[in-house]
Amino acid sequence: MTNRLFRLCDKLLAIARKDFLTSIRYRSAFLMTGLGVVAELAAFYYLSRAIGPSFRPQGMGYFPFLLVGTGFYAFLMMGINSFLSSMQESQQSGTLEVLMTSRTSPATLIFLNAVSAFSRNVLRLLLYLAAGLVILSGVHLRYENLLAAAAAFILSVVIAVAIGIMTAAIQLGTHKGSAVMWLFGSVAWLMTGTMFPVTVLPKPLLWIAKLIPITHCLNALRFSLLSGGTLQGVGREIAILAAFSVVLLPSGLLIFSYMLKRARLEGTLSFY
Amino acid sequence: MGGIVFESVSKRFRHRPVLFNWIGKERGGETRAIDAVSFSAPPGRVLVLLGPNGSGKTTTLKLISTLLLPDSGRILLAEADTRIDSTRARRDVGFAVANERSFFPRLSGRENLDFFAALEDVPRDQRPKRIRWALGMVGLHSDSDTLVMKFSSGMYQRLAIARALLKDPAILLLDEPTRSLDPASAMQFWKLVRSLSEQGKTVLLATHNFSEAVSVGDSVVILRHGKVVGRKDLRSETAERLRSFYFQATGEAEEEMVLAAGA
Repeated sequence: MTNRLFRLCDKLLAIARKDFLTSIRYRSAFLMTGLGVVAELAAFYYLSRAIGPSFRPQGMGYFPFLLVGTGFYAFLMMGINSFLSSMQESQQSGTLEVLMTSRTSPATLIFLNAVSAFSRNVLRLLLYLAAGLVILSGVHLRYENLLAAAAAFILSVVIAVAIGIMTAAIQLGTHKGSAVMWLFGSVAWLMTGTMFPVTVLPKPLLWIAKLIPITHCLNALRFSLLSGGTLQGVGREIAILAAFSVVLLPSGLLIFSYMLKRARLEGTLSFY
Repeated sequence: MGGIVFESVSKRFRHRPVLFNWIGKERGGETRAIDAVSFSAPPGRVLVLLGPNGSGKTTTLKLISTLLLPDSGRILLAEADTRIDSTRARRDVGFAVANERSFFPRLSGRENLDFFAALEDVPRDQRPKRIRWALGMVGLHSDSDTLVMKFSSGMYQRLAIARALLKDPAILLLDEPTRSLDPASAMQFWKLVRSLSEQGKTVLLATHNFSEAVSVGDSVVILRHGKVVGRKDLRSETAERLRSFYFQATGEAEEEMVLAAGA
């Protein structure tokens, strides 16, 4: 058991190292990402100043509302997208076939890739939130709030992993997962309350918004980080997120396994 | 050590034209890539698959590696059916794929091998030694810290062979392994293949090249349009005699083969 865990960590390190080396060797893209975060923060800061302090969605200042919404939305979407892009890249470069014949099972590979992708994005998220919440808006966080935020965060990541595995499966099945990802990203951007509270949406759209797990992720994170919500305070959202996790993760793995088998039968594993 | 048993295996690929096919005219129907093919490769032997492009050589290798699943028939690796136990295939089979660019371009040769070695469960403390050995075997030592995006076709091919050797597989599948190698490197590689088979490894090598077939092979299976059209023991054969046998077995004109092989 210990040996198996050690090997898993070793593989995770190898994947993280490969991802890190690849990203720093695209030097300009690495710098642009950092500059992009600064530009985004500045834009939101001046946007909230232009709107004025009277607009307080869900009782919060608009700048922190935007920060948490866009910060976590971007984090989750980048995580989800990393499954798709890693599948597309490995199909295009031909590494997918080699990886599929390695001693590491496809399920383990996809899980380790997810951990690496999310860890990479966590750093960006933390910098984003630290700069925005603590420096620019002076929000102070308490231990209880962090506990609730951590619970919501972990469940959100599990849900994002599940959706990511589904997008990778769609890429395997349709060879055009980016179209599905674009559609999902646009709908989620509009209806999950990233930029404005979902309560302003018309009733039918509000119902759809409630069926998208990211809406509940953002609600739970905003209440815990900005309104002092404790674990009990955001209990309902946490329960909904847990239910989504329980349904989506096994479904994602099942769909991926089905699509992989189909691709092996049809000989389309490396088609893109 | 495991041998390979390929038993009446068939594989078809379906072509499904999409919308507006009247504009582009994509073909429909299906291609019978492998049709009731049977052969066996015992441990410690080199079996050569010889045939023109599209004869089913790569499909055969992909079926053994479980990248493809057969429509019918069965494939046994050390007596285990690959449809039931694909873990064994992933554990025992090293596959040097024909796709030269199946690496991470922004990593060096050594970094690429280190990554794949981790996924192949090569213990961390043994990895540097194993990588050095594999790089030495294919003559890439001096270029091991160059980013692979700067590699030539021949270097890519050598790196692919080094990668297949990393996990010390019981079964080695080589798809046109010397296609981009210069003659001296090709001869060095043939020696390596012979030494691996002497260690008890089963080697299955797909090629168009008669000299390569007789230099490394113990026996040959000739494929044409997905069917076995000839078999021969190669231990006392010459390239010239194999060439005559090939054209007799396939019924192809010699010029046709030269064109198909791009020679």
